[in-house]
Amino acid sequence: MAQPFPYTYYSCDCYDSKITPNPSKRASQPPPADDEDERTFDPRNPRSNYSLYPLEHLLYCEDCQQIRCQRCVIEETLNWFCPSCLFEVPSSVIKSDGNRCTRNCYNCPVCTSPMTVNSLENPADPSSSGGPWILACPYCHWSTVEIGIEFEKHTGITSQLTRIGNGGKAIPTPKERDKERERRKELETMKKDRDVLSGSEDSPTTDRGRDDGPPSHDDIFSNLSAFYKSQIASQTPSNPFSPHEINFSSPSSFSRIMNLYSSTTSKKQKREKPAPMREAASVLEGLIIHDPSEDAAAIERIKKEGWSSTLSSTQKFAQPIPTIRFDSELRPIASLLCTKRGKRCRSCRHILSKPESKITSTRYKIKLLALNHILRLSLRALSTTTIQPGTPSPLAFDYNNLKSGIPTHFLLHLSNPLFDPIRVTLATPSTTPGKIQSRVTILCPQFEVGANTDVWDDALSSSLSPIKKPTSIGPDGQPQTSIEAGKIWDRGRNWTSVIIEVIPGFVGGIGFSVGKSDPEDELDEDEDVLEIPIFVRLEFEADVNAEERGLGDSRGERGAREKREEAFWTVVGVGRIAKM
Amino acid sequence: MSRPSARKAAPKGEYIETDSGNKVSRRSAITGTANITLGGRTVIMADVHLRGDLHPTRAVPSSSGKDVTPTSISIGRCTVISTGSVIKPPCRISRGQVHYYPMKIGDNVFVGPHSTISAISIASHVHIGDHTTIHPFVIIKENVKILPNSVIPANMVIPSSSVVGGRPARVIGEVGEGWGVSGGGAGVGGGLGVGGGGEKSWVEGGDLRELVRSIK
Repeated sequence: MAQPFPYTYYSCDCYDSKITPNPSKRASQPPPADDEDERTFDPRNPRSNYSLYPLEHLLYCEDCQQIRCQRCVIEETLNWFCPSCLFEVPSSVIKSDGNRCTRNCYNCPVCTSPMTVNSLENPADPSSSGGPWILACPYCHWSTVEIGIEFEKHTGITSQLTRIGNGGKAIPTPKERDKERERRKELETMKKDRDVLSGSEDSPTTDRGRDDGPPSHDDIFSNLSAFYKSQIASQTPSNPFSPHEINFSSPSSFSRIMNLYSSTTSKKQKREKPAPMREAASVLEGLIIHDPSEDAAAIERIKKEGWSSTLSSTQKFAQPIPTIRFDSELRPIASLLCTKRGKRCRSCRHILSKPESKITSTRYKIKLLALNHILRLSLRALSTTTIQPGTPSPLAFDYNNLKSGIPTHFLLHLSNPLFDPIRVTLATPSTTPGKIQSRVTILCPQFEVGANTDVWDDALSSSLSPIKKPTSIGPDGQPQTSIEAGKIWDRGRNWTSVIIEVIPGFVGGIGFSVGKSDPEDELDEDEDVLEIPIFVRLEFEADVNAEERGLGDSRGERGAREKREEAFWTVVGVGRIAKM
Repeated sequence: MSRPSARKAAPKGEYIETDSGNKVSRRSAITGTANITLGGRTVIMADVHLRGDLHPTRAVPSSSGKDVTPTSISIGRCTVISTGSVIKPPCRISRGQVHYYPMKIGDNVFVGPHSTISAISIASHVHIGDHTTIHPFVIIKENVKILPNSVIPANMVIPSSSVVGGRPARVIGEVGEGWGVSGGGAGVGGGLGVGGGGEKSWVEGGDLRELVRSIK
């Protein structure tokens, strides 16, 4: 859990509400108790992981009058930017260059921290440019020296890096690659002709002699893509309707052609199947032939250099070529771009949040927060309320050490962001779900929370009628005596607090399970966390929505009020139960 | 009772309060006071070390005659530096000489206990967890949450509205839209638990005025 105790999560039922079966069908089923149980929210259910959110992550759709979580909003990207250099990248560049920064932003392939461009200049023999330059990681001290790459300039790292392979070898550009392929193809055809003529068997050796190592990943890719392009081109019939080339791989042009056929020519011709494409048959066409000597070399290398020269899976997957094995094959990772996104309600498409499109701005044009529409619940231990703020309490309540079997009182504080008073009904299962069953009692489950009026009203009203505080505080500072069932603890302008009594369950069970270790009794991770599911139901009268009023203006007069109801599950994380 | 005598009673407390409302602990270690600016209502807790003595040396023009005191640390308003933290301006060695650069911390920044900070710039509404190390020349933008026990590598730029954590730190998420928004003016009334839960009357990344007020 990322949040410290105590925390409150709100459940968005967007997913479950869709799969709830028809209630009429349900009613016919015999055990209604099961039904009841199923409706109780279980924070330990694996699915709950995906529906619980802290309140500040939730939005609120005013039209649907519902909480909206990350699953029930549609995101639309406003712009892309590099998180490292904070430059905006236009969407056209995204389409052509991909989602990586093309400036000098690189991350360390070993530890992911951002790399810096450092100079390797020899102070005794300074060069004019200040170079050579390298990319170095300030955190783990990996640098491009280890893969044999140095740069001539300190700018335009990306373009330089695309030209230098590991070990300082030049990487051919796509054009050079195409030329090279053509050259080899010609050689091969010439050789074939010669072989046919002479019948000699020396072709493999001559081929080997010219080859310098196995083809690189880029070589294979460009070979394969060139091969497929040629295949598509050979499939395309010379079409009199289109003077320029039609790209078969694009679905739109394909369907356009199909439409042409269906209108003008017979069905039979349309049905005519294209001849199946040939697969790549040689290295020059992108075929990868498994080479056992490569594997043997890899094994030899692990033998010699050990595991430390190999990569972890996360390091591999971050690489542009995720099939590499050794640290000498690492490449600096260009930093991934981030996005700024607006959010819409999935059901009514209204905009819920829209940030300003400027990268540097952190403001929002539209932001409909659940914080401003939903009652906020928070919990704290009751014993600490008597301690004066400021003086560091020697006995601060330890939420990570709840005592089993001892009734503990907590204060549930509900504050109302709405401008109307609300009636709240709280409900909770009497024992918490999970293996450790704790007993929970909300002493006052039904009460009112005042409206969020002007702050000054609070100050004025409190001076006129002081809030009724519990008077009988014990000598030890424990106001035990004044806890009464059915009464609220305290209230203010727009907040009310009630007492929850919790008897934490026993870790490992209270039964006589001495000597045997049942795997059923074994606690999973975080099983000792005490989480209370609380069902919150709100009732309030609010002004009728402006839009709805506009629709039904014939009946409703101005300032009409409507009764509204809202209900949702929350999960309050109280703390961790101490081991006995 | 006259005013000076009322002032005299004050030194009993933990904090020295300045005219602009800054609260500086008596047990903090501040060096180079002349090079530090506090924006007002900023809290420096006990055992905090502010290295104002490490100020930029290059920037001072000696020709003008009048000595301009260089700023080494400038901290905004309502910022809280918790106990045991060290704020040290970043330095760089260039041509055999150590050069310090002025660092800037914005408003409503919370620095957790026992952190070491050498960032060049921290914007406003940043929440830094405890035991965090921020290496030199890090730039942190607005509304960033840094999880406890993180180490932020040198020269890292953290974009706004991100959650950062790990060793080395990386961006692991985004703060929600409601980050730093205290719910519907609830802060004043209860005086307790308006945050995500718990005992604090302030929200991470929000206005820290309440927190500053509560520190005595």
